Amino acid sequence: MNQMTQAERSVQTGTGDVKFECRDVQVWYGEKHALKDVGVDILDKTVTAFIGPSGCGKSTFLRCLNRMNDTIPAARVGGQMLLDGEDIYDPRVDPVQLRARVGMVFQKPNPFPKSIYDNVAYGPRIHGLAPTRADLDAVVEKSLRRAALWDDVKDRLDDTGTGLSGGQQQRLCIARAIATSPEVLLMDEPCSALDPIATAQIEELIDELRDRYSVVIVTHSMQQAARVSQKTAFFHLGHLVEYASTDDIFTSPKDPRTESYITGRIG
Amino acid sequence: MSDPAMPAARARRSLLKTDPGTSRRNAAERRFRAYGAAAVVVAMAALAALMFTVFRDGASAFVQARATIPVVIAADVVDPDGNRDPAEMAGVLTMSYGRLLDQALTREIERRNIQVEGLTQRDITGFLSAQARADLRRAVLADPALVGQEIEWRMMTSSRVDGMLKGRVTRDTAARDAKTSVAQYDLAMALRDQGVVRAGFNWRFITAPDGSDSRPESAGLGVAILGSLYMMLIVLVLALPIGVAASIWLEEFAPKNRLTDVIEVNISNLAAVPSIVFGILGLAAFINFVGLPRSAPIVGGLVLTLMTLPTIIIATRAALKAVPPSIRDAALGVGASRMQTVFHHVLPLAMPGILTGTILGLAQALGETAPLMLIGMVAFVSTYPSAPPQGLLDPASALPVQIYNWTQRADPAFFERASGAIIVLLAFLLAMNLIAIWLRRKFERRW
Repeated sequence: MNQMTQAERSVQTGTGDVKFECRDVQVWYGEKHALKDVGVDILDKTVTAFIGPSGCGKSTFLRCLNRMNDTIPAARVGGQMLLDGEDIYDPRVDPVQLRARVGMVFQKPNPFPKSIYDNVAYGPRIHGLAPTRADLDAVVEKSLRRAALWDDVKDRLDDTGTGLSGGQQQRLCIARAIATSPEVLLMDEPCSALDPIATAQIEELIDELRDRYSVVIVTHSMQQAARVSQKTAFFHLGHLVEYASTDDIFTSPKDPRTESYITGRIG
Repeated sequence: MSDPAMPAARARRSLLKTDPGTSRRNAAERRFRAYGAAAVVVAMAALAALMFTVFRDGASAFVQARATIPVVIAADVVDPDGNRDPAEMAGVLTMSYGRLLDQALTREIERRNIQVEGLTQRDITGFLSAQARADLRRAVLADPALVGQEIEWRMMTSSRVDGMLKGRVTRDTAARDAKTSVAQYDLAMALRDQGVVRAGFNWRFITAPDGSDSRPESAGLGVAILGSLYMMLIVLVLALPIGVAASIWLEEFAPKNRLTDVIEVNISNLAAVPSIVFGILGLAAFINFVGLPRSAPIVGGLVLTLMTLPTIIIATRAALKAVPPSIRDAALGVGASRMQTVFHHVLPLAMPGILTGTILGLAQALGETAPLMLIGMVAFVSTYPSAPPQGLLDPASALPVQIYNWTQRADPAFFERASGAIIVLLAFLLAMNLIAIWLRRKFERRW
């Protein structure tokens, strides 16, 4: 578990500008203070991994970035989260517009029970991104190609998306998320329901997506964090313990808790 | 079980021999399965017995004995002025047409040389349905060219003669019955043997309006079916959108607080309110307060809507709850608004459940009797309501109320009618349940 394979990781940090600037972020679920004083700068064109034991707040933080926590009635969010300098929790912000720019892929593949085409076309349709049928066809093809799914499904776009295998479903969900041309892609444990082969494909895909998007991934697998990310944040008990380049986190962690976690002593 | 020793300390036993504990467990399971099977058998037997009695008593309502005899439409009787003006001919009452029919039947008996001992004029007059005269008069008024001609006229026999052909009235019971006689029985049998009186399918039972107490043979379900249909229409048009809208709001949008908790509890309570209470509410609110007419399908429809709403809301909320939250996340995640999420994704997936709940609610409403009696739908209605929307305000009956009504009448022929009406009601319910199953299958394939 703690024997890290970091060979294939490409270490390039700080290539992008700051996309998300988060300061003193607090989240309460009712009385429970789930996230305390989290401050992170998420960079553009970079893969950022959130690691930490279960219940540490990493998924909570991820869901704050596109305001998916709004759907939980008891959740309250404090602090400041700026996307390109604009506060996403400003009362004037419509979460619908935010989510078109900050896409999300969930832990369990959740394609709509519609055709593969309609799955990918849904986002562009509701946001009016593709006025003509030809435009929509082009967007669907481009998204499926980027998600490395086009060759698998190009002959059966009218088949239902739920009929695909688990890995294909997750790639379909990624295609659906990038079809709206988001700037940030949030992934909440995208590989936890997949087998190793599908996982490898998704990881490869994440690496390719980095040249265009800022990708934030929550993962329970430290190997995965080490393989795909350039920046890593370690969460523990609602605190952001350490945020640094993935290299530094895994080779020379500054905080003793980080070291304990990556060597498997806590968690 | 009472053995305090640890499993490790247990002596090794052969797997080929069942130990006592396992035998007991297996026996208990076998017993439980037998109880379950027995319960199903009892339920099926009860259903079979119900069906058997209903069909035994009611199937004959769909058959009616009719006599076909040549009738002379004597001009001096039906058109004393001789000008063939329907307006003036309308002055001739049904009674006169009855005389024509009596003469025709008497002639037919003589022509066929049928000898019946003790046959009186009363037996002949009572042989044909009182409805037959009215039908003949209507036909002549509609077509004055018939006056003076001899026509082959097919008409209903009275309910007693009808019963003789169906075996309900025997020679013995005829002797004791004040409304018929042994002579009439013999006449009926003779005319049947000669093919004058024959039993055929009784369309009037389904299409005709209710008949009076003395004419069970002419009583039909037409008004009741129309009334029930109108009410179902109102329930569908009102309860489905209101129920679905309320469920969506409660399930997807409503904040979780004391107020919505109270609403939820009350909706569940409403589903348990006895239907007669809704009838009283309808009487007080819709008839006395709003001033809608009594016996009208609109009032019945509104009352049944109130009754059906909780059923639809509960079914719809269950269907919405059953849609996996991951679908909502997925839609919100690509930037759909909450309303888009509901209408594009959640609602289509919940559709089979919603439709099944709605149809079962409608079926329940279709069989509801008590509230309709309170709002006056138990009245004797012999004219069809007109087409909607005006017809919604016209007096009408309803299937279950018509059944109740017929069981209250003295003539045993109405008992047969009531059982026949139950068959019609069951056929409607069965059709609705089949539609529910079909819709469920159709929509579920999309998963």
